[in-house]
Amino acid sequence: MFYVTMLFQYMSQYMKTRLQYRTDILVEFFSDLLSQSVNLIFILVVFGHTDLLGGWTRDEIIFIYGFFLVPYAVFSAFFNIWDFNDRYIVKGELDRILTRPIHSLFQIILERLELEGLLGAITGIAVMIYAGSRMGLTLSWYDPFLFIIFVIGGALVYGGIFIILACISFWADARTSIMPMMYNISNYGRYPINIYNKIIRFVLTWILPFAFVGVYPASYFLGRHELLFYSLITPLIGVVFFTLSILLWNQGVKRYRGAGN
Amino acid sequence: MSNAIEVKNLRKEFKVYSSRKGLKGAFRDLFTRNEKIIPAVNDINFMVKQGEMVGYIGENGAGKSTTIKMLTGILTPTSGHIVVNGMNPHKDREKFVQTIGVVFGQRSQLWWDIAVQESFRLLKKVYKVSDEQYDNHMNHVIKTLDIEPLLDKPVRKLSLGQRMRCELAAALIHNPPLLFLDEPTIGLDVLVKLKIREFLKEINEKYQTTILLTTHDLSDIEALCERVIMLDEGKVIYDGALHHLKETWGEGKEVHFQFLETVDLQSVKAATAGLPVKWEHDEKEQVFIAYIEDQDELISQLIAQIVAAYKIKDLNIHETSTEEIIRNIYEKGEVRLG
Repeated sequence: MFYVTMLFQYMSQYMKTRLQYRTDILVEFFSDLLSQSVNLIFILVVFGHTDLLGGWTRDEIIFIYGFFLVPYAVFSAFFNIWDFNDRYIVKGELDRILTRPIHSLFQIILERLELEGLLGAITGIAVMIYAGSRMGLTLSWYDPFLFIIFVIGGALVYGGIFIILACISFWADARTSIMPMMYNISNYGRYPINIYNKIIRFVLTWILPFAFVGVYPASYFLGRHELLFYSLITPLIGVVFFTLSILLWNQGVKRYRGAGN
Repeated sequence: MSNAIEVKNLRKEFKVYSSRKGLKGAFRDLFTRNEKIIPAVNDINFMVKQGEMVGYIGENGAGKSTTIKMLTGILTPTSGHIVVNGMNPHKDREKFVQTIGVVFGQRSQLWWDIAVQESFRLLKKVYKVSDEQYDNHMNHVIKTLDIEPLLDKPVRKLSLGQRMRCELAAALIHNPPLLFLDEPTIGLDVLVKLKIREFLKEINEKYQTTILLTTHDLSDIEALCERVIMLDEGKVIYDGALHHLKETWGEGKEVHFQFLETVDLQSVKAATAGLPVKWEHDEKEQVFIAYIEDQDELISQLIAQIVAAYKIKDLNIHETSTEEIIRNIYEKGEVRLG
């Protein structure tokens, strides 16, 4: 409960900071909107030339892409930890975090909120509606709820993986360039999983389970019941990965060496 | 609740990898690295009672910050035993930090972009301080530190002195019984320093707040602390009263004379023949310096004899400064006190 109030406290603080720079926020809003629409056009153009890919129609692929954007938006709003090593380890900001009575990871998430990331979800939903209406998808009453659960599951998978990567900083001294690489790999989850070879498929399912951010949960709404099992374990995988990442984090914090003055 | 801090055989080791020279060395480093274990804090023991103000001093790299970081739960000790406020700092970290306040002089605790009072408000929520407690306590703190006019400014627009006062206030929002200050006066002007010292004294008296202070500025320690713990290469080399340190290590007093007439070293020596004095003549300043034991009797006798013999222009009595004492100790190594 305390953590929920703190989340809202930080969120309102975030808004206030943002509103201080009035012109900034306007400019940013429009540039976000612009980049999202460029994204949308890009998707339509790229997929305009493909009709069928590994047994998936163009509209299905667009739908998966649209779905992927939603958990990704949630992830980018809350798990803005790609510069964790520089900011918190090298500069020693973690010292400050550790002297406050809130879980260290949660504090970092709060401090690094980037709520405008959530705008991406609008694009995602727009893309899904576009593709879904072309395919004539119908929704049952429980689908919106499942959608929310899948989105949370997907965001947790994403967050979990990146937290685990951030934890590397606790063990390795050197900065790693693994984060940008991971962003690339994460993109693979946007495409139908069966277009890849077996090994990549295995990796994307069980090791770096980015497939649970895009293709698996989305295929549920597409009525692809051969993947039903994977669709339904999305929240489970999310919880498991996220829990693992937190356990690893807690171990890592014990190894934190601090930065010299 | 008599001991705020108990430290037994506390040790922290860091693994250090030294890299070899040249490209060839860099390749060898890839496979086998030169690993060295360096004890930053080497089996130290001490206790601090509730309500004490203790100065924790040492040269750069002596292990001060490392100790403070272990005491505040930031670092996990390699071995040893720490109890602070009756808790193990790195075990129940979240519960523990509720009972301490921390100021790192070189690192800001406040949010850079938001107004000071917003930072305070957020911290108030973080520490679960009720409105009533906050008003009672913080109004006073804000007034004493004179930061009222700064409250609506964002931290990035404050000067260092202004920021430090706000940092101090921020560390006290939850009115902790124990306060850690790591170089709180670094880079501050005299007025701000004085204000901060006065404030620390006041909260120590008012709330019995225990304060552990590290600083390079010994005047801070002299103004605030009765007790000092001195650290060198990860070991405690002195733990005791500041005045005791001065008595044992302060090597007497210096009396500086300037004369109206021309005098030479031989004749002043002759004039004070019966006294245990060492004379020195500083030719540049035209000053004669008498080194003498710190006894009031002897000093007045010395002055009386000199004044009887010559006309003097100026006279100064110097005490060995704490700074000199500490420099002496570091040069000579461990302090051995009976």
